[in-house]
This record gives sequence, structure tokens and C-alpha cells, in this order.
Amino acid sequence: MTVSGRDGKAGQDVLRRVGEASVLILISLADGPKHGYALIQDIKELAGVELGPGTLYGALDRLERLGLIDALPADDRRHPYRITAPGAAALRVHLDSLERVSAAGRLRLRLGGI
Amino acid sequence: MPAAGGQVSDGPRASRVVGTVLRCYPARWRRRHGEEAAELAALLIRDGTPAGSIAWSYLAGAAREWLTPRPVRRLSTVACALLVAACSLGVSAGLLASAAPARAASTSQARGHTPGRAHCRPGSPEPVPGVTPAVSRPQVIIWEAGHGRSC
Repeated sequence: MTVSGRDGKAGQDVLRRVGEASVLILISLADGPKHGYALIQDIKELAGVELGPGTLYGALDRLERLGLIDALPADDRRHPYRITAPGAAALRVHLDSLERVSAAGRLRLRLGGI
Repeated sequence: MPAAGGQVSDGPRASRVVGTVLRCYPARWRRRHGEEAAELAALLIRDGTPAGSIAWSYLAGAAREWLTPRPVRRLSTVACALLVAACSLGVSAGLLASAAPARAASTSQARGHTPGRAHCRPGSPEPVPGVTPAVSRPQVIIWEAGHGRSC
């Protein structure tokens, strides 16, 4: 996995195919570890997206398999998750890519006079 | 179901529905997430999320969990395929190795061929010149002129 690049040119955008839920989870974990319920609440506030619990666990498992997040030791019955260094790098690459696409879209809208 | 943050407002029926749906997940998943998933469902129900939508989300998740091939399963499949390929290659090589001397024996005997005489005589003590007898090797069937003879 090559996610070391900060500018998105050196690193491959591994998050392109993981789905929106996974990206939102990584964004939510970027400011510190959270467990499932906290993730759902945070993502609802952050993006207005109500993540279903089934979707949440599917995305968490996928991200963990990819090495982008880590499960911390259980606190009561809840497993907090934290973003890993490759996860943070992958998120940076993905957000940079989204920014470039967003800038290009805005520019084209301006040029088109819409 | 008692939740970490309080009692579930939707009652035990919602918990039963969610519990039933959670049983649709593979055992491995239930061991890992089962308790936490039930607690999360209880908290969401307490917050006003309809139990039906939670159950539906878990049901879809369970279906995905069963349908998505696990990397371990893929690895073991590849390992099994490699093992089978290696075994079949080994068996083929063994058969070829044991067939070669037998073919050589058949060729050398065919030089002094007498019609109607068997080329191979099982248990024959006569050594064929230049050919090491295939002791303790798999039995090879040599097909010649449409007749199978076991050596």
C-alpha cells in the first residue's frame, strides 16, 4: 500500500473504492479514538449522514483489514477504534484528491457561466 | 435490554428483533462485535431510531458479511490449490519416472519380439539388460497394439 505521499501524487488513493462510510469513519477518527456509538453521532453531526449500525461494522472491519484503523482494548463492551499512520496518510491523499476535483468543478462552473 | 446509558424505551420486543437479526451474522463476527452491536442497537433505539431500520441495517450487514470473501478464506483457497497442484505434479512426475524404464524395457524386448508372446510377465525373475527393475514403484499399464498388459 503506497499511501505515504501527502500531495496525492506519490501515494495511491486507496480510499477511492472503499465507500463513503469508510471515508466518513476515517474523518471522524482523525481527531481521536471513538467507539461505534460515538462514531455514528459524530458522523451525523459532521456530515448529516445517519450511518446504519450494519454499515458501520462492515466499514470498520474493512478499514481494519486494510490496516487503516486499529481496534483498541475494549472499554466495558465497547471497542474504541483509532486511525493508524497509514490510515491518516490515506485520508490525506483522498481529501487532496477530492479538493482537486472540487476545485476543477468550481472552475468549470465559473468558465461555463452557470 | 439494559444499555450502558439507560433503559431501552422501545421495550424488549425491539431488542428481541435485533437479537434475532444479530444471530444471522457468522459466529466469528458475533464473537467480535455481538455484545457491542446489541448495546449499540439499544442506544440507538433509546435515541429514537426505529428498531426496524436498525434490524434492516444489521440484516444487510449480515448478508454482506456472508457474501464477502474473507482474505483468510482466499489465502487458504490459494494454499489448497497450490498444494493440489504440487501433489498432482509430483504424482505425474512419479508416474513418468516409473513409466520410462518400463517403456525402455518394452522397447528392448520388442527388438527380440516373437508374435503372440507376452512382453511383460508379471513376477518374471529375468532381468532385462540395461533396465533396472522398477521395484516398489506404482504399477504401470503399457498399452501396445490395442492390448493392455500390466507389468
